[in-house]
Amino acid sequence: MSDRNNKIPYDEDNYTHNINRNNERMLDRRGFMKTLAGAAGVFAVSTLPWGAVAAKELMGLGDKEYPHQKIADVKDVKVGDSVKFHFPSEHDSAILIRLSENKYVAYQNACTHLRCPVYWVKDEQEMICPCHHGKFDASTGAPTAGPPRRPLPGIEVEVKDEAIYAVRVKRYEA
Amino acid sequence: MKRSYVGVILLAAILMMNIVFTQLVVHQYYYENYGVTLLYAGLNVLLFPVALFIYKKEKNKGGSKGYEERNLS
Ligand code: FES
Repeated sequence: MSDRNNKIPYDEDNYTHNINRNNERMLDRRGFMKTLAGAAGVFAVSTLPWGAVAAKELMGLGDKEYPHQKIADVKDVKVGDSVKFHFPSEHDSAILIRLSENKYVAYQNACTHLRCPVYWVKDEQEMICPCHHGKFDASTGAPTAGPPRRPLPGIEVEVKDEAIYAVRVKRYEA
Repeated sequence: MKRSYVGVILLAAILMMNIVFTQLVVHQYYYENYGVTLLYAGLNVLLFPVALFIYKKEKNKGGSKGYEERNLS
């Protein structure tokens, strides 16, 4: 081992004698374990952002109040119809459904599976996600079929002066 | 050639736990249980040093020599 490197190479014209290709690509036990440990590292790093946002959310806790936002006028929404809007920020698309004369429900309509926009199918009285055919119950937001497991986050609405307003995002009571 | 699979099995178990925790983190985050999210994220991070420790401890176990040693002579 120690004198491996200080030998003077002998004279010869064979330049391939020291190329050893056997087992060159072999994945041995050690290499495999190295991969596994590395993958654990990748997982560790990839959860950090989630932890960070969660921590941020914990700091500014409480029921977040957003400015009330007008969605539509009552006369423009017929029973059984739906309206798309954005709440609380313009990047959170949401949907309002008028289920009956006085019953309005609203949800953030990013599917809880992979965030495709869920839309309201009047004929089937159901909210359907086009991506993997997830279905949601319109009166509660609970998933009824397909891959989604979490209910859609509900939005509280208020009817005032013949107009419909979005008030706040309901928290899960889990 | 003597085999030692303990390290491999342990590391595979750790990776499994990593996957489970990651999934839990994402779900709990959307369920707005931020405390639990932090807990699982923390566990996930902690698993990495544990994996490194197991790797360091186990890499020279077992009768099969490493690639370099095998090709010395
Ligand atoms: S994204 Fe809605 S079902 Fe997959």
